[in-house]
Amino acid sequence: MSDQKPPSAPPPFGEVSRRSFLRNSAILASGAAALAASLAPLRELSNYTSVELFLQKHYKELTPAEMQKVLDRIAREVEQQYHIRPRVRDYKPMDGVEFVYCLNLTRCIGCRKCVHACVAENNQSRNPEIQYIRVLKMPHGSLDMERADHNYAPASVPEKGFFYMPVQCQQCKNPPCVKVCPVKATWQEPDGITVIDYDWCIGCRYCEAACPYFARRFNWTKPSIPKERLNPEMSYLGNRPRRQGVMEKCHFCIQRTRQGKYPACLEVCPAGARKFGNALDPESEVAYILKNKRVFIQLKEELGTSPRFFYYFDV
Amino acid sequence: MQFICEMSATVKTNWVLRVLTALFLGLAMAFLCNGWGYSAKLFPIPLVDTNFISTATVRMSAADLIRSGGDTSDFECYACHERNKPFKLKFDAEGDVLVPKEHANIVMGHGRHHRNNNCFNCHDETNLELLQTRDGRHLKISDSPALCGSCHGPTYRDWEAGVHGRTSGYWKRDLGPIDRKVCTSCHNPHSPPFPSRQPAPGPHPLHPAVDGKLIARSES
Repeated sequence: MSDQKPPSAPPPFGEVSRRSFLRNSAILASGAAALAASLAPLRELSNYTSVELFLQKHYKELTPAEMQKVLDRIAREVEQQYHIRPRVRDYKPMDGVEFVYCLNLTRCIGCRKCVHACVAENNQSRNPEIQYIRVLKMPHGSLDMERADHNYAPASVPEKGFFYMPVQCQQCKNPPCVKVCPVKATWQEPDGITVIDYDWCIGCRYCEAACPYFARRFNWTKPSIPKERLNPEMSYLGNRPRRQGVMEKCHFCIQRTRQGKYPACLEVCPAGARKFGNALDPESEVAYILKNKRVFIQLKEELGTSPRFFYYFDV
Repeated sequence: MQFICEMSATVKTNWVLRVLTALFLGLAMAFLCNGWGYSAKLFPIPLVDTNFISTATVRMSAADLIRSGGDTSDFECYACHERNKPFKLKFDAEGDVLVPKEHANIVMGHGRHHRNNNCFNCHDETNLELLQTRDGRHLKISDSPALCGSCHGPTYRDWEAGVHGRTSGYWKRDLGPIDRKVCTSCHNPHSPPFPSRQPAPGPHPLHPAVDGKLIARSES
């Protein structure tokens, strides 16, 4: 008798044939690859999320020692990204100081130097572009925001028949943006500056919608700042580089003004239209202006926001 | 549909698995190649010219020139003029002063009326290196605020309070110095209106338009 092969040998591993094994493993592998690929955007997250940041407390709850750790972390992150060692500090408000800004509409020539000095000082993203100051061009004889133009680009300014009105954060005494923040990431400091904790902001943009002055900006993408234009003098509540998905706005150059210096937009103004100082000091320039000048109280005063930013005229 | 309904359950399962495999592979490729573009490419925006962020004043005053050690030859009147020889001005038919060709760079434009078109309203005719005020005081050429203030009282008062003109440095005086500019740091005394200038670039739109039409973001 010759050995006869059984007509159909059972597959070596239970019911799995070679064909079905290959097919199933191909499906499995491609499924795993797809899952991994779909999680790929998370790789970017690790660039700016650390365990330290995740566990960090609210700004107001940080002890000085914890604050120092946070500042060290920020300096480390900036150095990693820009290869420049910054000086990050947390400046506290001074006693007996309430900051006020006064802007002379008679003198402003609309040259937009303040806009770019601000960008340079405060490490705003260059592309996409984030600017805290918007200069409005309006026809003489009215103050109609509906007729304002901020895209003007003539060969030279000022143009006949128009005046210019730079608008930035008005540092309201009654700030609507602070009221709507669901996580208390923005608040008013004792010296009158409304600040944002960029590490606490969740990017819901309620404050942007609440602000009647279009003063707040959102980082839709990761900000890009050329290395050679980075300002290494940074502060926690001020001009340290922001992350994607957080709000930012004018903070009266907190890193300068809390050291006693003038803000960057004032220093650069060629016409001397911008004045800044402590309203509680009767010897200050702003006290003189509020006392002696024709001050057109505040922008959109009917809203009851009570800005600390005053527009005035010379004559 | 008829075809699908007639298939046996195993064949149907196989077909579904094949379609799913293809779908998964396609998705994997799309995610890996960033097919949705979660970091969309942006239009290039040129960096702003550093002149627009320079804090330099519009011009250099005599005081600035002397302090910075610049070229002060313009203030050495007696390099050309003769001392103790009274200088005679020439006027045209309308009473405007005729600017001699040696001083052709001077534009006589002080005030909209023509009454100020006379060099010796401000310069001292007996000593050209000095200035004289309306009330007869004699001032150094670098002492422009006192001279200008003798006519422009309210502006001078504002300037003294730090409200007219440029300031830089420290708003808090006990922490550091404040730098004050004088009249001629910004105003040309012969033609004082503040000069017009080219504005810095305005905000770039998020979606730039060409000929009024929105264009898609390029990959450049």
